[in-house]
Amino acid sequence: MLALFPELTDVNGDAQNALVLARRAVWAGHLDIRVERLAAGEAPTSTPVAVVLGSTTDPVLPALLAALREVQDDLEGWIDDGVPVLAVGTGLEALTRAIVLAEGRLDGLGLVPAIAEPLPSRAAGDLVVRATEGDLVGYENHSRGLVLEAGVPPLGVVRRGVGDGRGSDGVRHGSIIGTRMHGPVLAKNPALADAMLAAALGGPVSVRGETAAAADAAAARIRTALLASA
Amino acid sequence: MSSPRYAPAVLIGRGVRLAARLRKAGGGSAVPGLVVNRVAPGFLGDVLSSFPEGLVVVSGSAGKSTTTKMLVAILVAHGKRVFTNPSTANITQGLTSALLERASITGRIDADLAVLEMDEGHGARLADRFRARLVLLTNVMTDQIDRFHDAQQVQAMLGRIAARAADAVVLNGDDALLTALAPHAEVVPFGVADAVLAGAPRGLGYAATTPQRITAGTRVVAVTGREARIEVRGEPLSVRLPAKGVHYAVDAAGALAAAERLLGGAFDARTAVGALDAMSPVFGRGEIVTVRGRQVEFVLVQNTASFQLNVDELDEGLDQVLVAMGSDVRDPSYFWPADTARIGRARIVSGSKADEIALQLLYQGVTVDRVEPDLGRALDEFLALPEPDRGIKTIVFTADAMRRTRSHLGLAG
Repeated sequence: MLALFPELTDVNGDAQNALVLARRAVWAGHLDIRVERLAAGEAPTSTPVAVVLGSTTDPVLPALLAALREVQDDLEGWIDDGVPVLAVGTGLEALTRAIVLAEGRLDGLGLVPAIAEPLPSRAAGDLVVRATEGDLVGYENHSRGLVLEAGVPPLGVVRRGVGDGRGSDGVRHGSIIGTRMHGPVLAKNPALADAMLAAALGGPVSVRGETAAAADAAAARIRTALLASA
Repeated sequence: MSSPRYAPAVLIGRGVRLAARLRKAGGGSAVPGLVVNRVAPGFLGDVLSSFPEGLVVVSGSAGKSTTTKMLVAILVAHGKRVFTNPSTANITQGLTSALLERASITGRIDADLAVLEMDEGHGARLADRFRARLVLLTNVMTDQIDRFHDAQQVQAMLGRIAARAADAVVLNGDDALLTALAPHAEVVPFGVADAVLAGAPRGLGYAATTPQRITAGTRVVAVTGREARIEVRGEPLSVRLPAKGVHYAVDAAGALAAAERLLGGAFDARTAVGALDAMSPVFGRGEIVTVRGRQVEFVLVQNTASFQLNVDELDEGLDQVLVAMGSDVRDPSYFWPADTARIGRARIVSGSKADEIALQLLYQGVTVDRVEPDLGRALDEFLALPEPDRGIKTIVFTADAMRRTRSHLGLAG
């Protein structure tokens, strides 16, 4: 499980989704899975089973884009091979064609057919999204939304919160799953985590044991409370 | 500024305070401030500017309560009469309420100087209403992300507070976002020596650390447990810290640097060290209390960095830990970057955000025996457990859970 540039992309704990995937893999009996962290400027030495790219703050975005460009060929190769990628917030924006900022426009990597444009106002609060994996819950705090090109599906429909504006959140494009739900989105939504794990490991996964049960029970209570108010 | 025109506002504020207390013991501390700020918007700024030896403002992401209390202790030991605010009253309404407590009917407080802890956001908004003699800035950490979107924003707020300093801005010289500020007043840095930074494997927790350590001025040159060596005017002092941790040594360095600047020739190193030694552990930070016949250590965590620093300072293999996260944490996401595996086992996880912090601990590999969102029940059960095999009972909590814990256990503050 590869966490990309966690020193830049863990502001909201997004990079910890790599830990969530690795723990769940172990809980499902894949004992050889562990988290690898790639720092900006380092070259990947092996092919990951899944990739997590978290969000960073606007002043650090240019540095994140520069680091991503250095591994762009690797990243494109993994995506072509179907390696699942979770991209969150500005990490997702970095994969689009462009990011529109107040002071100008930054070119993205162009791996997601969309651009990131400013929202009318900052979105901060709970976010509930109806997706094929079920209702997903999380927390958002950002000031831009993705404008997807025609035919590109979002992750899901917003039931509460803002997401990318226009009633939807995130994107599904190839093996990339993108969202505005920052922090431990995969811990709070085990169904999404296990769908990514199944894609990563090439077959359905089923977590077992007391720790997994305790974690998923806590996640279920968080989800129930949020969905009740959605 | 002593002025009879504040008499009605002061009387109204006191009436409201009395009413709030009659309704709920210990309650309503911000309400009188809210009312007075409404009926007399000039009150706060005028009282703040009325101290004969001026106003000192302490702000920053973390450590402001500890630093404020240390500075006050040093000044009092030098014979100064100091007005200060309780750490729970560091935002506008609470500050006004705290001033009301002590103000005469004409809006004047009988003290030589004021040392006030100010929340960075509220302090920035209040900045054009006060003039400080000295501003003391602790650090910029990635903190309360849902309120302050990024560290640069916090930096800008502290810049507005620093701009109000007339004599000096005493700031953390290891914090790159603070050293980038350019106030009109003279900048007096404090910091740590290379060896101290090298001994902190995760760094100091600042959003950005300067490439070079300061070589002169007030510097922490060594920290061992609760003992620190701090150099002031080139003379190394042995300082006893309120609890283990490099961050407390840095807080002490900031307080010493500010005290030295404020007192000038009257500053006496032995008096200062004596004052720090005598300080009772600061409210909720490494504080050890005895309740219901049990010794309990309180550990307050406020953001990712303080969570990490405090967990790193816990003794390994603690047998009885309670972790409580309250409603003050709107977005628990920013507690996720912390490596909490060292906690090992949490007997009970509690507070209104119990499930959120339980999830973090479980994925970090911490054993969680039980999740009990009702903090009162969790505390009762935790205290009723027999004395631990290893270490002492330890409660790690956020600010809101701390307040509820103290109230449940009948502790002051």
